[in-house]
Amino acid sequence: MTEQALELVWLEALNAIVSLLIYPGVAFLVLLSLFYEWVDRKFVARLQNRYGPLYTGPSGILQPLADIVKLLSKEDIEPRGIDRGLFRTIPILMLAIPLLGLLLVPIASQTALIAFEGDLIFIIFLLTVVAASVFLAGYTSANRFGAIGGVRAALQMLGYEVPLSVSLIGPAVIAGSLSISKIVEWQRHTGLWMILMQPVGFAISILCFLAELERIPFDIPEAETEIVAGWMTEYSGRKLALLRLATDVETVLACGLLTALYLGGPAAPTPWLSIAWFLVKSIAVLLIISNLRALFARFRIDQMISGCWKYLVPLSMLQLIAVEFMMG
Amino acid sequence: MEFGAGVQDIVTSVPFGFVVAVLLGLCLYWLGGKISAKGKPSDGKLASYACGEELPAEKVQVNLQTFFVYAVYFVIFDILAFMLATSLTSPGILPAAYALIMLLAVALLLPLIRR
Repeated sequence: MTEQALELVWLEALNAIVSLLIYPGVAFLVLLSLFYEWVDRKFVARLQNRYGPLYTGPSGILQPLADIVKLLSKEDIEPRGIDRGLFRTIPILMLAIPLLGLLLVPIASQTALIAFEGDLIFIIFLLTVVAASVFLAGYTSANRFGAIGGVRAALQMLGYEVPLSVSLIGPAVIAGSLSISKIVEWQRHTGLWMILMQPVGFAISILCFLAELERIPFDIPEAETEIVAGWMTEYSGRKLALLRLATDVETVLACGLLTALYLGGPAAPTPWLSIAWFLVKSIAVLLIISNLRALFARFRIDQMISGCWKYLVPLSMLQLIAVEFMMG
Repeated sequence: MEFGAGVQDIVTSVPFGFVVAVLLGLCLYWLGGKISAKGKPSDGKLASYACGEELPAEKVQVNLQTFFVYAVYFVIFDILAFMLATSLTSPGILPAAYALIMLLAVALLLPLIRR
């Protein structure tokens, strides 16, 4: 082998490492999630006739970062009676799992950083693990509010998980592949966005992601007017900072996944426009989510569960059956 | 050649991505430990939060009865969803038959929820 070829191979390996760690990898994703939190807060504030973040940076764009730094520098209190090992592990895991999921979503190009056949199923599995660790977080903190929040999170998960996974699988059935990158490729190839064929699936998955993200109509597990902070009650300092960052990363994951599956993903006319395409589409999804957050009041847990099983599950199943008929 | 390509394969694998993500979490955790304020632990600070009432810290028992029915439904529908998803390449009578069996199971479970 010539020396030139060897150099090329090493350059490619280096390129892979840089794209995983910096752009469009971990560092970029963390900054993006802070930016999305700012968009969300500012938009909801304007809808409610408030100013929102204002003083930190231009129009308060650095406020989410300042919040994280503040929480990191506060005292970390571990109360008596907790399960120390789990109590310390869970915030780290809850940041790591959505971040791993985000590496599987195509953002700056049509293929994701980590792509394999069946990664859609893997992402659905990761979303379930996040919900399960919310339950564990509440349970290990040995606090009444924490335990109630954890149980509510688990019950809520049993409600939204089935319609969510069924409506995320709809696009896979049409595209004939369980790989997110191939679903994006199918949409680029045919020029049809999945939302045109399955608007119901898109609506259902937005509703279910609201529950997954614990946003306002479904913020039952951390309802601050009823159970203090729910499953997060005992978390403080750096652990709370990690949990906050985890929520932001999960928001980007939800927006990115919906963009890839239903809105054609980052498939742009020219490759260097991909990231702009992705940002426009996923911020549109984010604004829908924020708008719903400003529009609704919190549901009760029994209303949420029975609503999911009465309306969302049959609707998503019907959607899937219609898709199967359309295909065959 | 083989070695370089091997590096690329490892970098774009799920375990490596997971390790990187966990490392980021650990870094932030360590950084927080470095820069955070260190206070003296006191009795009130270490007590679990209970709106100022005197309540001992303890694991609260979870009532599993309401949980159970929903969990069974959840498992049934989840398996149905994954079965439909993995039967992408072979559409036909078999997935429909499986779906029918699932729906029969759900119908048999309905009396459970009424109790």
